[in-house]
Amino acid sequence: MSRDRTRLVRTRRTWRGIAGAVTAIVLVGGGFAVANASTDTGTGKSAAGVKRPVDKKATGVGAVVSAANEFLNTLDADQQASTLLDLTQANATAWSNLPCGSTCRPGIQLGSLTDTQLAAAMKVLKLATGTGKNTGYDQITQIIKADDVLNAAQSTSSAGPAPSDTASSTASADPSATATDAPTDVPTGTPPSGGTGGGGLGGYGSGVYFLAFLGTPSATGTWQLHFGGHHLALNLTYKNGKVAGASPFFVGVEPTTWTDDDGTTYSPLATMRDGLLALTGSLSTEQLATAKLSESFSDVLLGPGQDGQFPETKEGIKVSTLSPKQKQLVLKAIHPWIANVDDATAKKLMKTYEHELNQTYVAYSGTTALDTQGDYVRIDGPGVWVEFVCQNGVVYRDQIHYHTVYRDHTRDYGSEFTFS
Amino acid sequence: MTRPRTWLTTALRLVAGIAIAVPAALLLGASPAAAHPMPHSVVQLDVYKDSVTAQLALPVGDFATASGIDLTTVKSTALPARSKAIRTYLAAHIRPTTLKGQAWQVTIGALSLSRTEQTSTGPYRELVAKAVLTPPAGADVRHFTFDYDVIVHQVVTHITLVTVRQDWAAGQVTGDGATQVGTIRLDVRHMKVPPLTVDLGRGSAWRGFMAMLQLGANHILTGTDHLLFLLILLLPAPLLAAGGRWNGGLAGPRTALTRIARITLAFTVGHSVALATSALTRLQIPGRPVEAFIAASILVGAVHAIRPLFPGREALVAGVFGLGHGMAFSFVLAEMHLSTGQLASSLLAFNLGIELVQLLLVCLALPSLLVLARLRIQPALRVTGALITATAAIGWLADRLGLPNPVARAADSAGAHTTGMLTVLGVGAVVAVGWMVVVRQRGRGATELETVMEPAV
Repeated sequence: MSRDRTRLVRTRRTWRGIAGAVTAIVLVGGGFAVANASTDTGTGKSAAGVKRPVDKKATGVGAVVSAANEFLNTLDADQQASTLLDLTQANATAWSNLPCGSTCRPGIQLGSLTDTQLAAAMKVLKLATGTGKNTGYDQITQIIKADDVLNAAQSTSSAGPAPSDTASSTASADPSATATDAPTDVPTGTPPSGGTGGGGLGGYGSGVYFLAFLGTPSATGTWQLHFGGHHLALNLTYKNGKVAGASPFFVGVEPTTWTDDDGTTYSPLATMRDGLLALTGSLSTEQLATAKLSESFSDVLLGPGQDGQFPETKEGIKVSTLSPKQKQLVLKAIHPWIANVDDATAKKLMKTYEHELNQTYVAYSGTTALDTQGDYVRIDGPGVWVEFVCQNGVVYRDQIHYHTVYRDHTRDYGSEFTFS
Repeated sequence: MTRPRTWLTTALRLVAGIAIAVPAALLLGASPAAAHPMPHSVVQLDVYKDSVTAQLALPVGDFATASGIDLTTVKSTALPARSKAIRTYLAAHIRPTTLKGQAWQVTIGALSLSRTEQTSTGPYRELVAKAVLTPPAGADVRHFTFDYDVIVHQVVTHITLVTVRQDWAAGQVTGDGATQVGTIRLDVRHMKVPPLTVDLGRGSAWRGFMAMLQLGANHILTGTDHLLFLLILLLPAPLLAAGGRWNGGLAGPRTALTRIARITLAFTVGHSVALATSALTRLQIPGRPVEAFIAASILVGAVHAIRPLFPGREALVAGVFGLGHGMAFSFVLAEMHLSTGQLASSLLAFNLGIELVQLLLVCLALPSLLVLARLRIQPALRVTGALITATAAIGWLADRLGLPNPVARAADSAGAHTTGMLTVLGVGAVVAVGWMVVVRQRGRGATELETVMEPAV
């Protein structure tokens, strides 16, 4: 009897052991499966991508299309899928000035590319944008550099005092984030410690910029080059081999100026600011009084998500009342924004805006020095809309930084969409 | 008997989880103000039966530009000197009306300064202001026009998020999952700030009641201290004391059950009486001493589980200490500033939630308690359990007397793992019941017990 019992006890023990082990395996395995589900993609070798035609001799938009195809050819199927997206209103309007990474904009992340792929991507941008100094491609690359400076500054916590107690209340991703399925575990540039925590959802750094083609790049169809990240949104819409719209174009920068390790000084928005300073500086006291807005601004009015919301009544001083010299200053002030697109297109757009110059208005708020929080200038015409605003720094808290946007009342996104 | 209950709690907890997760997701996913590096204002509404309280959080930078009142370097102590100007400014820009345009009454209350941070803004200073909004007698508090242009009347790029933090009649009682009502911002096309139409839907006493029931259930489930006190008192219930030790042998199952029932009942009566009294009289009880008293009660319970301090009088002790626990429960209700009608119903629902979960947990723990007492290693398990409990209690006691410590933090965080706790109790109950059935079927005495290992309670 006692042997029986011992055996029974032993059997029971064995069964309990097995049950325990099984439970443990299920739990651990399940946990693993769940944890891996989100990170699995990308670890496996992806299928080779579709090859597209490249024409090295093409010019103009043809050259942009060819470079776009060349870039796509360097990508595997998965990468192509995240770069080539549909030209929908949701995708096109998914851009932001915020460091919100892939949560607020679609496309492939520059930081995820190999050197060859990155070079091919930058070539597309170079061909699609202007060749001026501090405008076009030169400006875009400087804005991207600025984000590395910002990232380093934040990591070393060189900025203002850390917050004391109370935590943040709300704030989050851009609503247009719905346009993308991109993973949210983007390698962020946010520092592990210290810092003032302005990194937001994507973090700072030159790797946190995204390139997408909305619609298939071609010299005959309609498609959009959609590129951006923190302080940058480039939207160039192509239709039948022409640029149908070079806006919305957002540029901002913090710090406004810095010197590299090799001694080079960068001020990517200086040309834009100087053009506006020359314009407002030319205005007489009476003209300034007419141009002054009663409202105050802490940002641009028509930033992300404000598509089509142009004020029905133009405010400020009408350019038709200005002297010929001042009118030239208005054109010169507009130019750096328009110069974001290739030189030929920029020239055509400038012609249009010159035609409309007499119906264009110049307005400002704060002071005209563009060196204090709230200093603001706007140029609003039948087509063109340019805003420039000075804000307190987010990382460099004792300095101001700039936000600007260029829009066109009728040509935003190549007039593809209507906004209520 | 135990299994359906477990499912019921799971379902209840699921519903509670959804209720919290959905508004949170809405808030995270759909904030139009997010595309804004400049800090925005946040207006949080607490909706009561006859009035709405708004808590305004205003970034001082844009506030200064708009109002001309610069608070960027003002010390909190110097705030009262500016409070008249601030109140005048705010009152001029907060103009709720009924949907027909009848003005509500607005009273600007407490003002304070604090530091905060929003996504991508960096840290900044904010002015926090309370405003009580009262509709004309008989008008609807749940539907109104919120004509509000603080800051944005001047700083046209400024955005205000309006959320509801507490709305009893809509079943929103916890205050930690604010739901967004809308955004107040400039209509750029017309350069005007349109008023926000607030529609809080139809509230009902039933939703408030159910929400309070859930709150009560969750409160005891996640409030490790209340639970620990009860369980540690129950731990030696099946044992008999002799000579100042727990070695008087086993009480009969009936005696053990009676004791457990009496202790649980006494605790229930104690905390219910205290909860009802302090809530209904709106008694202002200082929080710290009560919380410390609770920690002490657990410590006493733990010591008693090691060496009998008051054998046979556990029920009395549970009742007396229960009073303290009830006062702590009343803090939850006091924070909500409910009207008397809502309070009475809340009190009932909240207590019912507490009792239901408590009953469930005691039922779950019951088989384990009875079986544990019969194990050879019972003294070791009991003492270990009591020592762990005592450590947690000492940690809490120190924390609540003003000495924050990792032990208290760990003990508090244990309350977050309710699923694990329920699973342990549930599995323990199943195993214990199974063991009892097996033993009974074989008609053998309860002596060879090395086969059963129970999770310590």
